[in-house]
Amino acid sequence: MIDLTLPAWAGWAMGVGLILFVLLVVLSVRRNHGVKRSLFAAPYTLWMFIFTLLPCVLIAYYALTDANGCFTLDNFRSFWDSNHIMRENLRAMGGDEMAATVARGSVNVDTLVYSLWMAFLCTAISLVLGYPAALFMADRKMKLGATLVVLFIIPMWMNFLLRTIAWMSLLEDNGLINAFLEWIGIGRKQLMYNQQAVLLGMVYNFLPFMVFPIYTSLSKLDPKLGEAAQDLGCNELRTLYKVTMPLSLPGVISGITMVFMPSVTTFFIPRVLGGGNTRMFGDLIESTFKTAGNWNLGSALSLIMMVLILISLSILRKADPNGEGGGIV
Amino acid sequence: MKQFFKKCYLAIILIFLYVPIIVLIAQSFNAGKSRAKWEGLSLHWYSELFSNVSIMNALWVTVSVAVIATIVATILGTLAAIGIYSMKRRPQAFMMTVTNLPNTMPDIVTGVSLMLLYIFAKVERGYFTMVLAHITFDVPYVVLSVLPKLKQMNKHTYEAALDLGATPAYALSHVIIPECKQGIVTGALLAFTLSLDDFTISYFTTSPLVQNLSTLIYSATKLGISPVYYALSSLMFVVLLVLLLIVNHRTADNKD
Amino acid sequence: MEEPRMIHLENISKEYDGVTVLDDINLYIRKKEFVTLLGPSGCGKTTTLRIIGGFEYPSTGRVMFEGKDITNLPPYKRRVNTVFQKYALFPHLNVYDNIAFGLKLKKMSRAEIGKRVDKMLNLVNMAGYGKRSVDSLSGGQQQRIAIARSLVNEPEVLLLDEPLGALDLKLRKEMQLELKSMQQQLGITFLYVTHDQEEALTMSDTIVVMNAGHILQIGTPKKIYDEPENAFVANFIGESNIIRGIMIRDELVNFSGVDFPCVDAGFGENAPVDVVVRPEDIVIVGEDIGQLTGTVKSVLFKGVHYEMMIESGDFTWKVHSTSMQPAGSRVGLSIVPFNIHIMHPMKEAGK
Repeated sequence: MIDLTLPAWAGWAMGVGLILFVLLVVLSVRRNHGVKRSLFAAPYTLWMFIFTLLPCVLIAYYALTDANGCFTLDNFRSFWDSNHIMRENLRAMGGDEMAATVARGSVNVDTLVYSLWMAFLCTAISLVLGYPAALFMADRKMKLGATLVVLFIIPMWMNFLLRTIAWMSLLEDNGLINAFLEWIGIGRKQLMYNQQAVLLGMVYNFLPFMVFPIYTSLSKLDPKLGEAAQDLGCNELRTLYKVTMPLSLPGVISGITMVFMPSVTTFFIPRVLGGGNTRMFGDLIESTFKTAGNWNLGSALSLIMMVLILISLSILRKADPNGEGGGIV
Repeated sequence: MKQFFKKCYLAIILIFLYVPIIVLIAQSFNAGKSRAKWEGLSLHWYSELFSNVSIMNALWVTVSVAVIATIVATILGTLAAIGIYSMKRRPQAFMMTVTNLPNTMPDIVTGVSLMLLYIFAKVERGYFTMVLAHITFDVPYVVLSVLPKLKQMNKHTYEAALDLGATPAYALSHVIIPECKQGIVTGALLAFTLSLDDFTISYFTTSPLVQNLSTLIYSATKLGISPVYYALSSLMFVVLLVLLLIVNHRTADNKD
Repeated sequence: MEEPRMIHLENISKEYDGVTVLDDINLYIRKKEFVTLLGPSGCGKTTTLRIIGGFEYPSTGRVMFEGKDITNLPPYKRRVNTVFQKYALFPHLNVYDNIAFGLKLKKMSRAEIGKRVDKMLNLVNMAGYGKRSVDSLSGGQQQRIAIARSLVNEPEVLLLDEPLGALDLKLRKEMQLELKSMQQQLGITFLYVTHDQEEALTMSDTIVVMNAGHILQIGTPKKIYDEPENAFVANFIGESNIIRGIMIRDELVNFSGVDFPCVDAGFGENAPVDVVVRPEDIVIVGEDIGQLTGTVKSVLFKGVHYEMMIESGDFTWKVHSTSMQPAGSRVGLSIVPFNIHIMHPMKEAGK
């Protein structure tokens, strides 16, 4: 069914990798002391170098070159000012007046801002919905923690594309929710192909990523801490925001990271539930690569997004100096 | 009263998570093709599923890619974890950064960057490139599951084995690997599920001729999706559920 | 008759990233001897043990085993076994398989393995525990299994790295006696590492006191206690009063402004020395008849005796006595010549 023969380059690469590995091992056998065990990581290091670090470098390379492989910053200019190439072409043809009428501003920047806003909304909603859920799950009196975790995981086994598509059946003009609305007398509404639908899909898909880390950090908390706070005169609500919440901060931060990141970059959800009316940054990167075939601009967009994510991660890390989800000792 | 409120809240969240899945499973038994209208119970879509060549092909691709990627990633990752564990502090910190890097990279960037790598190396994208991509995003998860188990181990365990006459290879296969078995299994399961479910990275690293289920579904959505897919995912869902129950049952037995 | 030398460390030095951990260690261990390496943490005692076990390799120097150089032999080819700190039992194996681990590697028959493991379980009073998982055992029981796992291989030398460190006081005392009797019964050489001076004094034939990568003194427990070679040893082995003094001439020393007759000689005349007096060797007498007079600053009841801090001039003496003097009272102190121990002023002492 599928052609499983390896391309020639793959054979060569594997051969070279194997020889390198064996060489390293042989070189590292010191007298009788046996193989140095840190070398076990050598194949992995090589792998990560080829398939993670090198591709990152390539993104930077493509972002900084044009289609002919020459160095340029045009891709970044296109990011700020989507029409600058058109304007320059017009000028080159002597159409200065026409060039002046070409709008400044950038679709790309607008899309990015919009994506960040949507991701922020999605993260905020997930936090507001997810924190109480995690809190109640971690409640020892409920004795349901482990079962509930499994119940939260199970839906994720359904293919994520299909889960999103399932929302279409619910939200469509003649879908189940509209049928219900009509039945109770409110009447049909346009539920799909708008911002709310996209947001709903995002929250639906990413909510578990908010609940798990918070649940983990809450369930690691010593219940005596809460008792101590109450012993010292805090009522339950005060205990919650004076003791429990600050101590679950590492979980909250890793939850925010795990929701925010996929939210900015999702391109399937807006495409299905937004129906092309809402364009997000992941969407833009995908179409720049796949539809427009402009790898250089696409790389520049990816690079910008990566930098933005790294910046926001480092800000978040600052808020949690103990490290991601790291317990407070 | 308070407990009741908490339970209600959790129930509402769970209903929110399960409604689309229930709808999907229900539709897979719908005789008609319409998403909205119920036209009677039928196994029509299930029978069509097995005669649909492209779906069966995609299923084969998905499962075989996941199996290959899991095996390679588990071996590579376990060895790597042992290596990283025995490194000195500085190289260890560097390796941890490299291991965490893919976690901080959005899927789409990973996918795009691998696509650029293949373009740059002038490799035609297809089955093999997809396997490589899957191994790449699976390995760090294996490393991150095995490493904590190694760190929990008494640091003299390996030496104790050598002391009792075991060669390094014997100590590795009879002491270290059995002791972090749990981490290895967790890592492998994680890798397998991630592989099965992956869409974004596969989408960028394969050609339209070699589709896995996710990319096939994606291209199908453009044309309007057939309930055959609902039947397929309901079936996979049930299989995974049964597997989970078996695994849970067995671990519960082992504890006794 | 002197037993032959089993292990001989010759000029062993060890550096980690430019930091010297062991500096020119020379030490030999005789057959059937119970030798203890004693010193504070970081003194190099564990590193010395690990070099003998084969887990570390010295930067310079040789490890000799029955006259053969084993410096570069890996651990699995050495006829020594180690009992590790916190035991390092294999959690995935049960008690029986833990003990049988080494024997299985020797390709012994199943019946023979069974026989030897059972014998060992008997020896460490753990008969019938073979099928148990090691996680279900208490600390003391795990300790016994760790000892059995090493001893079953019939090593020439057993290395023990703070084996009792994780046990509570009462259990530790019991195990000390048991270990000692096991050693005598089996006739195996023990090399024991500890930072607990009392443990060292109780169990050892020979104590090696180490600090900062050097050996300070080697000797029998009694000799080390009674005649420490310098202030460090004196301080580390039991509580001591250490005061600077001047050796006027042989058998006469001056400290606290008073001349004391003593029994040491050979330090020269008017030589600066360190003087050691054990707290239990100071006798409290009437104020008028003491060699020194002082004021009792504090009194603590220690169970068998009282510990009093007595200030005399600018030095505060620690005195142990079964009769209590109330704080604030004036007392006289006297020390018999035999209990005054003179040492060279603090410097590194080798072998």
